[in-house]
Amino acid sequence: MTDDFNQARDIDDPEVSGGDGVDRRGFLQCMAWAGTGLVWTATGGVLASRALSPASAAEPALDFSFVQVSDTHIGFKGEANKDALGTFEQAIARIKALEPAPAFIIHTGDITHAQKAGAFDIVTEALKGTKAERVFYIPGENDVFADGGKEYLGRFGGPTGTGWQSFDYKGVHFIGLINVLNFKAGGLGSLGQAQLDWLKKDVERLTSSTPLVVFAHVPLWAVYPKWGWVTEDGGQALSYLKRFGSVTVLNGHIHQIMQKVEGNISFHTALSTAFPQPAPGVGEGPGPVKVPAERLRSVLGLREVNYIQGKSRLAIVDSTLA
Amino acid sequence: MNGSNRSIRVRWLWRLAVLGAAVFGGLAVATWASAGQSANGTAAGQLAQPVAVAAQTGPRIEIAKHKFSLPTLTVPAGTTVTWLNRDEDVHTVVSTTQAFRSGGLETDDAYSYKFTKPGVYQYFCTLHPLMTGRVIVK
Repeated sequence: MTDDFNQARDIDDPEVSGGDGVDRRGFLQCMAWAGTGLVWTATGGVLASRALSPASAAEPALDFSFVQVSDTHIGFKGEANKDALGTFEQAIARIKALEPAPAFIIHTGDITHAQKAGAFDIVTEALKGTKAERVFYIPGENDVFADGGKEYLGRFGGPTGTGWQSFDYKGVHFIGLINVLNFKAGGLGSLGQAQLDWLKKDVERLTSSTPLVVFAHVPLWAVYPKWGWVTEDGGQALSYLKRFGSVTVLNGHIHQIMQKVEGNISFHTALSTAFPQPAPGVGEGPGPVKVPAERLRSVLGLREVNYIQGKSRLAIVDSTLA
Repeated sequence: MNGSNRSIRVRWLWRLAVLGAAVFGGLAVATWASAGQSANGTAAGQLAQPVAVAAQTGPRIEIAKHKFSLPTLTVPAGTTVTWLNRDEDVHTVVSTTQAFRSGGLETDDAYSYKFTKPGVYQYFCTLHPLMTGRVIVK
């Protein structure tokens, strides 16, 4: 594999990596140059990227890949995207076109915009239409606020009814966490003691060489606490994961790509399929941002994650809908 | 379908509210001012208007950029307070003691609650819990 476009120097620069670990300007230049997306790989804590190009014979065979889709906000009708259903369907078409097909799909929440009747069904039916064997859903606050999570848990809560979950796939251990239930006035997203206890027990039996993928809606790391872009007890959860050699954390919620590496843990937030949000601290507050219509699809997208056995990191491919 | 119907209804109500405010506005503002300053007891009696009119002319808290425009509002007992969401995000208005609880408010949706008993009512948005406010009822 050749690094056509190596960003390692920029990303490693403390001036640009101090806040979120991403050099936005450099990243956007990359996006413009690559057209469709980037493969992010990380070695020794340093992120690097290359242009996303058709697989070449020199590429090692993939053990498997999966897709992360996030913040579909079905039911959104605001000015920031008059056709959030259309852009969601475009993302579905992209998933269907993937070769090889993803083994499964992870939805990192805000499946619906306002929990209106039928909104969950639109998403589950559309994702069933892909070739993925399974779809895993973790809620965002927009999926649980109206009924305290009753509908979400009824649909996706699993045998324990708690919604948090783990599974193994070809040697990789996946953990889905919920950090949008039981919000307290003035508080932040949190996992809660019961879930933390479960997580601690869940990973206890694993050897430190097991690659972990953790997914949750609100970022588990402090992206921007003033806007609630943090999980109050995320640090506690991460402390159980520090001994592992490869931990990939996938979040949604902030509708933009941010990446950060701390030791063996790499953090990645994803694009929405519905609308973008401002960069942390830019403007008066978070919320849907209206961009010129011709630019909208370049700030929406989805993510493919490739796992190759023997590689210490999973390769993250973020693609926009443009 | 329910959502859009409700949305239309709410917008229609707001047009009525604007009209109501134009007609009763001066009277209502004066009434709150004098009632707010009165020491006790008689505030509810001073708001002699029917509830429906009070709902249209009572104090309004706008929700914009993840903030309540009047994070602290003092009103006499019997006042109906209305929250209006100007954001494209969904917000809620939920009492920390569950004394009142709105549904999800989408853009231009409103929620009203009549405060009948004196006290301090803390509330927040259950989607964005950093959004907090309080209504002090005298």
